[in-house]
Amino acid sequence: MKKTIGITMALAVTLMAGAASAADQVTLQLKWVAQAQFAGYYVAQDKGFYEEAGLDVEIKPGGPDIAPEQVIAGGGADVIVDWMGGALAAREKGVGLVNIAQPYKKAGMELVCPADGPIQTVDDFKGHTLGVWFYGNEYPFYAWMNKLGLSTEGGEDGVTVLKQSFDVQPLIQKQADCISVMTYNEYWQLMDAGYKPEDLIVFNYTEMGNDLLEDGLYTLEENLEDPAYVDKMVRFVKASMKGWAYATAHPDEAAAIIIDNGGQDENHQKRMMGEVAKLIGEPDAKLIPEAYERTAKALLDQKIITKEPEGAWTSVVTDKMKM
Amino acid sequence: MTLFRPNWQALLSLLATLYSLTAVPFTATMNGSSSYLVIALLLLGAIGSMLRLSAMLEIAILVVSSLGAAALLIGGLTDATGTANAGYFAGLTAAWLLGWRLVTVLSGDGRNLGTLSSLLVPTLFGIWVLILWEAIVRGTGIPFVLLPPPSAIAVRVTTSTSILMADFNQTVLKAVLFGYIVGSLTGFIVAILADRYRFLANGLLPVGNMASALPMIGVAPVMVIWFGFDWQSKAAVVVVMTFFPMLVNTIAGLASAGEMERDLMRTYASTRWQSLFKLRLPAAMPFIFNALKINSTLALIGAIVAEFFGTPVVGMGFRISTEVGRMNLDMVWAEIALAAVVGSLFYGALALLERAVTFWHPSYRR
Repeated sequence: MKKTIGITMALAVTLMAGAASAADQVTLQLKWVAQAQFAGYYVAQDKGFYEEAGLDVEIKPGGPDIAPEQVIAGGGADVIVDWMGGALAAREKGVGLVNIAQPYKKAGMELVCPADGPIQTVDDFKGHTLGVWFYGNEYPFYAWMNKLGLSTEGGEDGVTVLKQSFDVQPLIQKQADCISVMTYNEYWQLMDAGYKPEDLIVFNYTEMGNDLLEDGLYTLEENLEDPAYVDKMVRFVKASMKGWAYATAHPDEAAAIIIDNGGQDENHQKRMMGEVAKLIGEPDAKLIPEAYERTAKALLDQKIITKEPEGAWTSVVTDKMKM
Repeated sequence: MTLFRPNWQALLSLLATLYSLTAVPFTATMNGSSSYLVIALLLLGAIGSMLRLSAMLEIAILVVSSLGAAALLIGGLTDATGTANAGYFAGLTAAWLLGWRLVTVLSGDGRNLGTLSSLLVPTLFGIWVLILWEAIVRGTGIPFVLLPPPSAIAVRVTTSTSILMADFNQTVLKAVLFGYIVGSLTGFIVAILADRYRFLANGLLPVGNMASALPMIGVAPVMVIWFGFDWQSKAAVVVVMTFFPMLVNTIAGLASAGEMERDLMRTYASTRWQSLFKLRLPAAMPFIFNALKINSTLALIGAIVAEFFGTPVVGMGFRISTEVGRMNLDMVWAEIALAAVVGSLFYGALALLERAVTFWHPSYRR
């Protein structure tokens, strides 16, 4: 059925080639709301990089109640921005997600504790309450606790886990001893709330070597059998990375574009852009196999997935990009 | 024509069965013989239900044929997800039509079969919903993350009983029960006071109407800030949600006693409290139970949704919101099933209690 549709589409495209060249449709589902975390895609759209690549891209913002894996399984998107943890879990459940590009080289997640609080080093966690986001963002934390050999069931020798809302209230309210933040987002909310960098003890997942892959681009396996689709993805990723390169070079303009697309608070977006740029580094979208291995192992250790994933990422798209 | 009594369900079922003959075998792993066995069962059911047999015999034939065919069809999906062909669904439709015929026969169809059928009919209805869900989801290969089949949900319920019990304990026994009792009781007491002191009613009711329109999504995070992230904040949300329905309903109920009866109480020289307890509260009972029933559903919804915000890592709402992110949709549905059972039992218990308390009310006259 899919093949017939593909052939029909190909025929239709050939027939229409005489007219104005039809742009290829791509729907991108983001993992979160419109913010500088996704600046590259918004910039590529706004600056016409997608158009130059012969693409007509629709960007759908996400939110706290949107699971990109479900959207793509339901046919609501061609490509999604997702974290590797969530993608591998979904892959085991029969959604054939494949990582085709990994714009984020480093993870932005960290755990922060007030410097005047009970926790100074990793040895102090026992018997305290730590705030963690769920919805696929809990895997790095559980992997880390696993590594430290701490139970997450609470009690004297373990840590009590608080499911944190997507803000920094639990720390300000003293409901948790430490909370999760993203370097590019909630950390700055703490700064806005009157904390200073020296008031916080930061456990950064990347620096500890506990980072799991964050924002990558995923599509469905079956689509990649079609060379035309792969070509479309190559153009899409290439244009997106061009957008990322532009956004990192012009953070102020990128922030303005985000605001035009429904982002909040220009100042916050500018700061976020600066932090995101650090995570992206060289915009070549190549996945680092070691980071992938670490992610897969962490998920296996926590029994989030039961067997070693196979074919969960491919370099077929990034190999053809030749920046 | 004495022997033959056609009905439309059986005729349509016969047509569908004949069509399915053209598409044997039905799935990738179903061999021809089991496909033909399904067809034979369906033919037996369709023809059996059109003969002039006793009602009991017809029911027996229909039960065996429709449920037997459905069981074989679902069994034929083992390791064959998404390979069901048109014949498969024609067979499924035929079995479903026979099930429909069975329900029609049980519901009387001109013959009275007593109270047994009043229990059997909804049960059969439920069974068929599950059969169709299972067969369609697995037969057409709908991805697990969009809608898991009921069999997977049942497996999850049996393997994760301890998790479900812990969640039930956290959400229902702590947050819902506490919040429901406190919210309903304070609503009731304030209503009695408001009834006694007019200014309270005039001042409270507009405020109450406004507060009952507060969005829970806004209230829940505030309660987390006030009462911490454990069950206390969820109970507080439930109190807020259940207080006003009780208040408004009780005030309306206290005003519902008739003028005639009130005049009678006055001629007996009854005090205000006597007429409250002997006349106006009993008259308000249907209203109060109405509020209790509304609150039973509101309390459960309130506690579950409140757990979408800051929570400890246990509770029905926590589980639903996080397992969606982990793509464990079977667990999500297991929690939904648990919530449905709890809600139904809660509501049912209140309905029984209401009958016991307000048996005298005109609405129960036969």
